[in-house]
Amino acid sequence: MKRRNFISSFIIGLILPFIMPLVSKFQASPLVRRFLRPPGAKSEKEFLDLCTACGQCANVCPNQCITLLGFEEGLDQLATPAIVARSRACILCMACTQVCPTGALEKLPMTEEGKKSVNMGKAVLMEDICFSYHGRTCGACYRACPLPGKAMTIGLYEQPTIIEDACVGCGLCEQACIHMPQAIRVIPRFEIEQNEASKS
Amino acid sequence: MKKSQGQVLLGISIVTRASVLAILIGLALNLKYLNWKNGYNLSRLVGLAAGEWWKLFYEIYDGFFSMFGDPLTIAQSNAGMTWSIRIMGVPFTDPIAFLSVLLKNHHIEVGFGLGLIIPLTLSLTFGRVFCSYVCPASLLFFSTSRLRRFLLKFFYFPDVQMSRGSAYGVLCGGLVLSYIFTHGVWTHILPYFAIGQTIFHAIGFGTLSSCFVVILGFVLADLLLGNNFTCKYLCPTGQLLGFIGSKSVVSIKRDAADCIDSCNACTVVCHLSVNPKVDETKNCSLCGECLIACPTKCLSIGVRP
Repeated sequence: MKRRNFISSFIIGLILPFIMPLVSKFQASPLVRRFLRPPGAKSEKEFLDLCTACGQCANVCPNQCITLLGFEEGLDQLATPAIVARSRACILCMACTQVCPTGALEKLPMTEEGKKSVNMGKAVLMEDICFSYHGRTCGACYRACPLPGKAMTIGLYEQPTIIEDACVGCGLCEQACIHMPQAIRVIPRFEIEQNEASKS
Repeated sequence: MKKSQGQVLLGISIVTRASVLAILIGLALNLKYLNWKNGYNLSRLVGLAAGEWWKLFYEIYDGFFSMFGDPLTIAQSNAGMTWSIRIMGVPFTDPIAFLSVLLKNHHIEVGFGLGLIIPLTLSLTFGRVFCSYVCPASLLFFSTSRLRRFLLKFFYFPDVQMSRGSAYGVLCGGLVLSYIFTHGVWTHILPYFAIGQTIFHAIGFGTLSSCFVVILGFVLADLLLGNNFTCKYLCPTGQLLGFIGSKSVVSIKRDAADCIDSCNACTVVCHLSVNPKVDETKNCSLCGECLIACPTKCLSIGVRP
């Protein structure tokens, strides 16, 4: 009798957490994910395997740019950290990489070298809507870039050119862009990885 | 009047749980402090931007962290929620977080593993003390049980009897879910993690976390299904720590000579369904309620013989 009670209780307990996938079905899952992972994040699959959603990276971010996701991006992203570049971009202070307990974010030094080794994504410029390419001198993105001259160079009438190999994808240019919708966007690294995987 | 051991323990448990709650709120406010420290680095500017109260808050934080060294570095060594927390650089890891990461990755970062030392030592020495001295959610359930006791005078609520197996079921179900999706699903399974998330989202981001619904569910279960239903039958952490600490050094002791055979006061009052009457000490969280309830004061807490 006692064993039967234990087993029936065990099954009830086993079922209870599985309410969550049913509830999350009511949320629309987006096709394109436009948020960035914090600097030093490993490849998306490894990152999700390691991230325990403890929120320490969001807690030490002095710029308050790291937010914790809810149900809106689906259950496999629940409570993981994300940066929405257009609202507030990463300033590459590397504080979050120092505290991550599980190594989901690799430790990077708080120096220029550390900044350059970040890979959060790549900036993409849409020249057809950029002010500077249409005779209105702007240059806001270049002034915001933390690696000026290395990740982005500037030409006649402040026309920006992105050097893709050096761009770390911090999103400061996207935040600074004065065009609406933004003429410069950061494509998150996991989107790039996904595209490359689907091509090959 | 001299206070008995049980009353002292109950008082201590309320104070420690309240201070854990205060630490959680303080850590969430850390986000605001860091922002102003990086942005202004001057209390007068904070006062102009946010108001006198926030200026006072900024000065207190700045003064506190300056005692230990560079305030910015020290402030950034405090982070986290109840799940995996870092206080003054000392990491604390939840055993369930450890299990969850171990299951998915088969390897563990050193600092993350070292965080287990303090929780495991505590539960090996004192048993399931996490539940009545640390867990911020149990303060909520403590008040809920008092409310239930009051409401029972006027209404009828059932007292559902289950086996403790359901907590192991929740543990297995949660591990499977976290294996399929992400470790973040535990935010909506563990009561104390849900409280941590709610506080952090409310103070840090100014949003209401969906974990709030889960907490509401736990409180309703406590109120309607049984006294401390969540702690007894649903919380996997308490069950796991109770299992680890079943042979703890310090435990509850009964003086059999003074004990009255027909009395059941300790068994009835225990909110974790432990039975001190038959010297059963597994799952005891040393909360001290039975020490108060015992009419002959034959129960005491001390080193296990």
